[in-house]
Amino acid sequence: MKKYLITLAVCATTLAGSLIGRAEDTVKVGILHSLSGTMAISETSLKDVLLFTFDEINAKGGVLGKKIEPVIVDPASNWPLFAEKAEQLLVKDKVAVVFGCWTSVSRKSVLPVFEKYNGMLFYPVQYEGEELSKNIFYTAEAVNQQAIPAVDYMLADGKKKFYLLGSDYVYPRTTNKILKKYLKSKGIPDADIVEIYTPFGHTDYQTIVSEIKKFSAGGSACVISTLNGDTNVPFFKEFANAGLTSENCPVVSFSLSEDEFRSLPTKDLVGHLGCWTYFMSLDTAENKVFVADFKKWLVTAPSGVEKKNRVTCSPMNLSRTGVYLWKQAVEKAGSFDVDKVREALYGQKFKAPEGEVTMQENHHLINPVFIGETQANGQFKIIKSLGPVAGEPFSDKFLGKD
Amino acid sequence: MMITDGFGFLKRLTAVFGRQFCLWLAMSCMVPNAQGAEPRALLVEAMTTNDLSAQIALIQKLTDSPDPLIAQALAAWRQGGVYLYDAGDNLKVPFLLDANADASGKSRGIQIATGESIKDAAGQPLLFLPSDLTAVDTTSKLRKAIKTTLDVLALSSPNSNFRRDAASKLGQAQNAEYLPHFEARLASEKIPDVRKALEEAIAITQLASDKPEVRLAAVKKLGELRSIPALDLIIKLEAAAKADEKAYPSGMAAAAAGARKIIEQHIAFGTFIGTCFRGLSLSAVLLVAAIGLAITFGLMGIINMAHGEMIMIGAYSAYIAQNIFVKWFGEGTSGFNWYFVAALPLSFITAGLVGVLLERGIIRFLYKRPLESLLATWGVSLVLQQAMRAIFGAANVQVYSPSWLSGNITYADVTFAYNRIFVIGFAVAIVVFTWLLLTKTSLGLQVRALMQNRQMAACMGVRTDRVNMATFAFGSGLAGMAGACLSQIGNIGPSLGQSHIVDCFMVVVLGGVGNLFGTVSAALGIGVTDQVLQPHFGAVLGKIIVLSAIILFLQWRPAGLFATRGRGLEG
Repeated sequence: MKKYLITLAVCATTLAGSLIGRAEDTVKVGILHSLSGTMAISETSLKDVLLFTFDEINAKGGVLGKKIEPVIVDPASNWPLFAEKAEQLLVKDKVAVVFGCWTSVSRKSVLPVFEKYNGMLFYPVQYEGEELSKNIFYTAEAVNQQAIPAVDYMLADGKKKFYLLGSDYVYPRTTNKILKKYLKSKGIPDADIVEIYTPFGHTDYQTIVSEIKKFSAGGSACVISTLNGDTNVPFFKEFANAGLTSENCPVVSFSLSEDEFRSLPTKDLVGHLGCWTYFMSLDTAENKVFVADFKKWLVTAPSGVEKKNRVTCSPMNLSRTGVYLWKQAVEKAGSFDVDKVREALYGQKFKAPEGEVTMQENHHLINPVFIGETQANGQFKIIKSLGPVAGEPFSDKFLGKD
Repeated sequence: MMITDGFGFLKRLTAVFGRQFCLWLAMSCMVPNAQGAEPRALLVEAMTTNDLSAQIALIQKLTDSPDPLIAQALAAWRQGGVYLYDAGDNLKVPFLLDANADASGKSRGIQIATGESIKDAAGQPLLFLPSDLTAVDTTSKLRKAIKTTLDVLALSSPNSNFRRDAASKLGQAQNAEYLPHFEARLASEKIPDVRKALEEAIAITQLASDKPEVRLAAVKKLGELRSIPALDLIIKLEAAAKADEKAYPSGMAAAAAGARKIIEQHIAFGTFIGTCFRGLSLSAVLLVAAIGLAITFGLMGIINMAHGEMIMIGAYSAYIAQNIFVKWFGEGTSGFNWYFVAALPLSFITAGLVGVLLERGIIRFLYKRPLESLLATWGVSLVLQQAMRAIFGAANVQVYSPSWLSGNITYADVTFAYNRIFVIGFAVAIVVFTWLLLTKTSLGLQVRALMQNRQMAACMGVRTDRVNMATFAFGSGLAGMAGACLSQIGNIGPSLGQSHIVDCFMVVVLGGVGNLFGTVSAALGIGVTDQVLQPHFGAVLGKIIVLSAIILFLQWRPAGLFATRGRGLEG
């Protein structure tokens, strides 16, 4: 019932929007992020940063002289509903481009829709790769821009044993499969790699932590975590109480960014590592402007946008980068036509907060990669900059065939 | 200044170096600061020199300085927290930033040479903003040297846990240079834990020695010590000695095999103890969460879908208690540590009051219609979740454990976390309390009478209305306390109750509705089975097996472990 009401409300607002804003000087752009359900907590931030970016661009005259008019739909963390909403955006609203999706399963669910109607989707969240659609541009970190550099860092730090711990779904399983292969190619024997999965919402990490403790007894062990959301709290509490620290067994997490830290006990996470293409603490002029402008925007933001304790993080930054790359490509192509914009996107460069990024013909970015250490205030301290890495979705390209 | 300002340091160090290290420093700060001028001068020189090898040589000289400021400054340097102040005349003064930043984020600079703040010409302390300053840079080689010095310094830390960790870590490096440090420390060390770690470190380091007899003795020693960290090394040594017997002294392979067996037996014993403890602890968690439901569903027969939300309300009460104590006492203070003691009764009262409202407002109209009470309480649970979202926000909130609940004790290389021990003790306490209440008080007698036959009890003059209300409030209050207790090991969020409700019903139904003893047995059964299966089948498959077993069991005995005749089963 609730879902229908929301759908109705959204339909009504979009209808009203399309009647009022029918003027010729706007271009419709879709936002396809869950604003209710389990994923809302993460995806709402992306909706916010997209609205901010649209306002930023509109204030400077829009795209090709047209103001961006956002069409917001709520797929409510419901994967089949993602496909329906995508179809609605492409067929009914006829948006020029869509920014959206968080989980891989939602992206897989909308992919056929975008291919059928020749739409264009920008996807901003780190993912497992092994996919390339001509209708999707992945500003997200590919495995070789996050997992591989993090493991390289651990290897260089003298770590010899790897405990791969993840939530039980497609991203951790695929990433860990690739990592296992990679670690073996680096001479780590099978016995020194452990792969463990827990269900979503798992709360009892006693056994796993005691195994990690045994595993790390000889030193030189680390945990590569793809645990999602909430489950990190019981895990890190148990971890700290067992006397494990970032000194004797560091954890590098791929799913924890500054935005997630807002609802985690960061004190239990101090010293553990993260690997992203962007950190809020990056000391560049562009980043300072981005963070300051976003905070300024929040003050006057539309109602429904949470205003307190906001931060920026990699998926948010990559959402914004996607909008700018699209804008530049549209201006280069001189048209909103998907095929022309796609051609223009190849080789498109943007001076992003983390440094210059380039869209490659494989629909992934060349983007600098950083390793950061968690601090008690929920920020990362950058401990290593790895320079630009060219995103590559297919693992056999950087690992070699079986 | 440094000693008087202990808590100031505490705060900033939490931000910079992490909790453990800062606890150690806070303790170090209390040690009288006798000497130190000379090592400080060396450190200042290291910080202002540009020659890397000279810097490393200087840092290595600091390994036996008891001055806490040295350790603090080294750690800060490694993390990029040491800055240079230009005092004119080409004089660079290295300094740290003080913990107490003012509203604009500025704080005083503490000179490393003297430990005093940097003052301007008028004698007023100068304030600095971290983002305006450039840190004294380090290279990875330099950071490594600093790390080694800090580790050796940690060997003489006043906190025995840090000494132990430092010894274990340095031992793994198998660096013969550390041997004199270990031996010196061992001579004066009194704590058995640390002594063992030091002996282990010495033996592990000696494993890499080039003298065969030293290595042989080291292998035997490690076996005697039952050293788990050395197991990998010993296995490798055994394989190597077997493969190429000539390269190793005679008896090496046999000694290694002997040591390996002793250690493996020790691990098997530890695993057994550990599994028992973890099973017990998971059972306690299940029991604590389910005991309230054993009252409201088990005794009263209300299919109470809002039970999970009572747990959630209790958890949020603990959060409120924490915030009040933070306001009164400040975070991390000894007063703050007692918030949890206040949180338990607060959560009982809050959830109990909500229980009274729920019983008076809705449930009392539905005693004869169990299915409708299911739907009504389900609705209430949604309302309560949404209310919490409106009050506290959709994101999870954080509760920090008081210091007496963080940490662990170790026996036979198995860690027993304090919060887990607490949950077990708490479970025992509330079961005993509930049992006494039900069997030794007149309220308990009335509750049992009502459970067996409502009409008859009413005829005998039991005020059913009042007893119902009190029982429901008590059950809800227990659920609330469970929430406060569970906040120490997991999440607090609006959907907290949802993750517990299924487990709770599972425990109560399996145990046999209306039987406290059944609930306890069911919790124990589920908890221990889960922990025994988990290492072999993983968390996902383990849970599936437990659930299937429960389904099969209930097919065989539909009334659960201990069947009781009660109102809930009459219908």
